[in-house]
Amino acid sequence: MNPLESLRLAWRSIRGHRLRSALTTLGIVIGIAAVIAFVTLGASLQAGVIGDISPDDQRNVYGWAAEPDSEGGPLAGAQPVFTQDDLEAVEDLEDVDAAYGYATLQTQAISNGEETVAQGSGLIASGPSYIREERIAEGRQFEMGAREAVLNPAAANQFEENVSVGENLTVTMLGGQQMDVEVVGITDNSEGLSPFEGFESSPRVYVPTDPYYTEQASMLGIGGGAGGGAGNQSLAGGEARFLAIIIEAESADQTDIDAARESATDYLESDAADASELLDDDLEVQLQTSTELLGQLQDVLNLLQNFIVGIAAISLLVGSIGIANIMLVSVTERTREIGIMKAVGAQNRDVLGLFLTESVILGVIGAILGTGLGLVGGYLGAQYIDLPLVYPLEYVALAIIVGMVVGILAGLYPAWRAARTDPIDALRYE
Amino acid sequence: MASSGTAVSLSNVRKTYRIGEPVHALDGVSLEVPRGSYTAIMGPSGSGKSTLMNLVGCLDTPTEGTVVVGGQDVRTLGDRERTRLRGTEVGFVFQTFNLMPRLNAVENVALPQLFQGVGRAERLERARNLLERVGLGDRTDHMPNELSGGQRQRVALARALVNDPAIVLADEPSGNLDTDTEADILDLFDEFHEGGTTMLVVTHERHVAERADRIVHLLDGKIERIEELDDAGESQAGSPAGRESGGGDE
Repeated sequence: MNPLESLRLAWRSIRGHRLRSALTTLGIVIGIAAVIAFVTLGASLQAGVIGDISPDDQRNVYGWAAEPDSEGGPLAGAQPVFTQDDLEAVEDLEDVDAAYGYATLQTQAISNGEETVAQGSGLIASGPSYIREERIAEGRQFEMGAREAVLNPAAANQFEENVSVGENLTVTMLGGQQMDVEVVGITDNSEGLSPFEGFESSPRVYVPTDPYYTEQASMLGIGGGAGGGAGNQSLAGGEARFLAIIIEAESADQTDIDAARESATDYLESDAADASELLDDDLEVQLQTSTELLGQLQDVLNLLQNFIVGIAAISLLVGSIGIANIMLVSVTERTREIGIMKAVGAQNRDVLGLFLTESVILGVIGAILGTGLGLVGGYLGAQYIDLPLVYPLEYVALAIIVGMVVGILAGLYPAWRAARTDPIDALRYE
Repeated sequence: MASSGTAVSLSNVRKTYRIGEPVHALDGVSLEVPRGSYTAIMGPSGSGKSTLMNLVGCLDTPTEGTVVVGGQDVRTLGDRERTRLRGTEVGFVFQTFNLMPRLNAVENVALPQLFQGVGRAERLERARNLLERVGLGDRTDHMPNELSGGQRQRVALARALVNDPAIVLADEPSGNLDTDTEADILDLFDEFHEGGTTMLVVTHERHVAERADRIVHLLDGKIERIEELDDAGESQAGSPAGRESGGGDE
């Protein structure tokens, strides 16, 4: 029998039992919807995070010293080991374009003369090129050694009158001491600039590590004291040490990045570096690009996704048992119809095809409804968390295929039973 | 339609069911059904009427003997060929009509051709013509549950005729109909018979059987006697075991 004719007949009997067919597909709908919704969210999340890394960031290598194999993202288990001398030496290395420290300085408030706003998120101290040229909307990068700052729009706009380039601000540090900064630049948006900060939007003030971090560190003993144990004696000088460093490679090319990473590691672990005094088997230099750091986030995301897929698989299993069950009922109910069809010349394979088609239609309808529901769910979720929406289209195709496969598997036995029905018995069946 | 030759022939057919003791549902039956003839089969319950129907209808195969339908020996055929033979050479009319409940009249009539791979348009066209011939030209799109018993049986007759079968098998075709409707249906049978269709009607009612050219009386799986009828339905004298019958006492 022509497949189109099977389709027509099968559709007829599905429509004959609307409610029953709808309820039967529910298991498939839920399973597919769960997978599609979470895969959409996952893809959107990934696009959201990766979209925040500008191409220029790709040449940055983020470094810290931590126990080998420690997991948990940027700065996990990091110890302050890098001195300013180390960074200058690294910057002079052939494969390295720039190297600077990174630190957050804890603050209480910022004032622009009369108005004071609370600022708990601190100052971000780093090198001038940390704020890339193309991210500066107004003004310029700050200079090392100068009492200058670059603000992002969220920080600039938190005052009643927006702060603009050239104004002076007073920052009150956590300890109570006050420092003056001159605003020399405003960035184009308020998203974070590196994985160290995180990429979410929030008010940020960027300052050079010298003088802000070096002053703070020597004043409070940050870096020196935290080095702990064996480090203390050699740190008697109290020179500021950085927890985190950023090394810029010549380009975003993988070979350049690897070269920069290699020569920086070699130097930092050599006796020439101050850092090497503190490095041992339990404390190694870790240098990673944004993409590599995001890979760890991706791992967590994948774990969650596998979990959801696992639950969905159970739902699909239950759904296919539901289809198989209703198909068996249907075969029994329609024993007489099967007898009629066989009496007028239906071959076993015609009957088999008819019932198989019916169960595949149920599976595919379930998959289509589930996909629709999942995409809507993913859309609402992405809206809610404010992510760019990315539809994983290959999963939509996959969902339809899964629906078909579920339909075939669930319909195989009932259809086989229908096909081998004896027409003599079937015609007598009441 | 050709009125020469044989539509169905049974020779020495035995059908044995083994449910504990072997039971001979048919016990050595020989019968020729010429093309264009009208035969009635009568007999009490358990006489083997249904078994004979199933054999002639290619739904079953004999334990012994041969059943030839449309020139083919049913016993030598595999399941697939037997189904094909049934679809093309046999048309069924049942007591309970047996229409497909979710197909309308014209689709029901066209159903046998669906399984022969005839295209939809051609199928429906032929089915409409047949419905017209059975007097249901204005009911083609009605569902079975929107039709009366007599109308349903007309649809069933049209369906039985759709593949131009060698024989139309009717099993108590008027058993579920009132007297007037019964007469209408039987008149229709006569009409198609006159047009050359070979009819085989199984019934336990004398007045239904009398529409035929001859009545085959079955008893305990054997042909008891064959009664030849003239046009008026009167029994011709004699013929306890018909000319073409192998007799009931073998």
